[in-house]
Amino acid sequence: MADDVEQSISATVKEPVDLIKLSLDERIYVKMKNDREITGRLHAYDQHLNMVLGEVEETITTIEIDEETYEEVYKTTKRSIPMLFVRGDGVILVSPPLRTTANI
Amino acid sequence: MCGTLSSVDQYLNLKLKEVTVNDGEKHPHMLSVSNCFIRGSVVRYVQLPADEVDTQLLQDATRNEAEKNVSR
Amino acid sequence: MKFRYFINMAALESYVNHTVGIITADGRHFVGTLKGFDQSLNLILDDSHERVYSTTQGVEQVVLGLHIIRGDNVVIVGEVDEAIDSRIDFSKIRAEPLPSIVH
Repeated sequence: MADDVEQSISATVKEPVDLIKLSLDERIYVKMKNDREITGRLHAYDQHLNMVLGEVEETITTIEIDEETYEEVYKTTKRSIPMLFVRGDGVILVSPPLRTTANI
Repeated sequence: MCGTLSSVDQYLNLKLKEVTVNDGEKHPHMLSVSNCFIRGSVVRYVQLPADEVDTQLLQDATRNEAEKNVSR
Repeated sequence: MKFRYFINMAALESYVNHTVGIITADGRHFVGTLKGFDQSLNLILDDSHERVYSTTQGVEQVVLGLHIIRGDNVVIVGEVDEAIDSRIDFSKIRAEPLPSIVH
C-alpha cells in the first residue's frame, strides 16, 4: 500500500514544484522571510512561488527584550485574511498538508 | 495601503486608483494622493476580496500552467 | 546575465508634468514635478523637496530643486492632488518616520 502511494507520487513528482501541485485546494503551511508564517488553502501558484491562498492565518513572530531581566521574549501576533496573493520572493518554504507527507 | 487595482504589468508593478491608506493617522504621506504606482518588487502581499475570486478557475489555470511547464 | 528590472513605459506617462510624491526604499518621502522617467524607474523631479516626518514636531520640508532618483530605490510613485495637498497644514502633521523596506 505504502509502495503504491510512493510509486504514484514519484510518477507525478518530477521536480520540487510538482509536489505543490498535489496540494492544490489543500491547506498548506508557508514559511516566509521576516519571521512570518502563513497557513491557508492553496488556490494558485506559479514557477516563482507566487501564490493565492484562501482562509489565511498569518503569524508574525517578534522578539522583545524584557527590560528588567534582559530575556528575549518571543511574541506572536496573528491575523486572518480571507484571500491573499503572496509574492514568491518572500517565500522560504512550502509544506504540503500532513496527510500526503505522512504517506511518503 | 489599499486601493482599487487599475492595472498590473508583467513585473507585478501595480497601479492603484482611489487609494486610501489603512492607517492614515500613522501614514499621512499619501493624504493627497489618489492614484499611484507601486514597484512590484516591494510588494509582500495583496489582499483580495475573497468573494470575487473564482477559486475553481484559479486551480484549473494553475494545473494547466504546471502542465505547460513540464512539457517545455 | 545581469537581471534588469524594467517597467512598462506607459505606466508613468500620465504622471509626467504632474506633482508626484515618491516614497523610497529607505522610507523617505519626496515631492516634486515629474519631468521624466525611464524603463528602470529612474525619475527626474523638478522643484522637489523632501518631507521629513517626526513625532515631536511638524513636517520639515527640505528644498532640493532638480533631482534624479535612481529607480532601484523607488517604492511608490503617487500622483498628488494639488488642491488637497495645498490644504494640508504640515505644521500640524505628526508621524513616525517610515521604516526601510525589508526583503
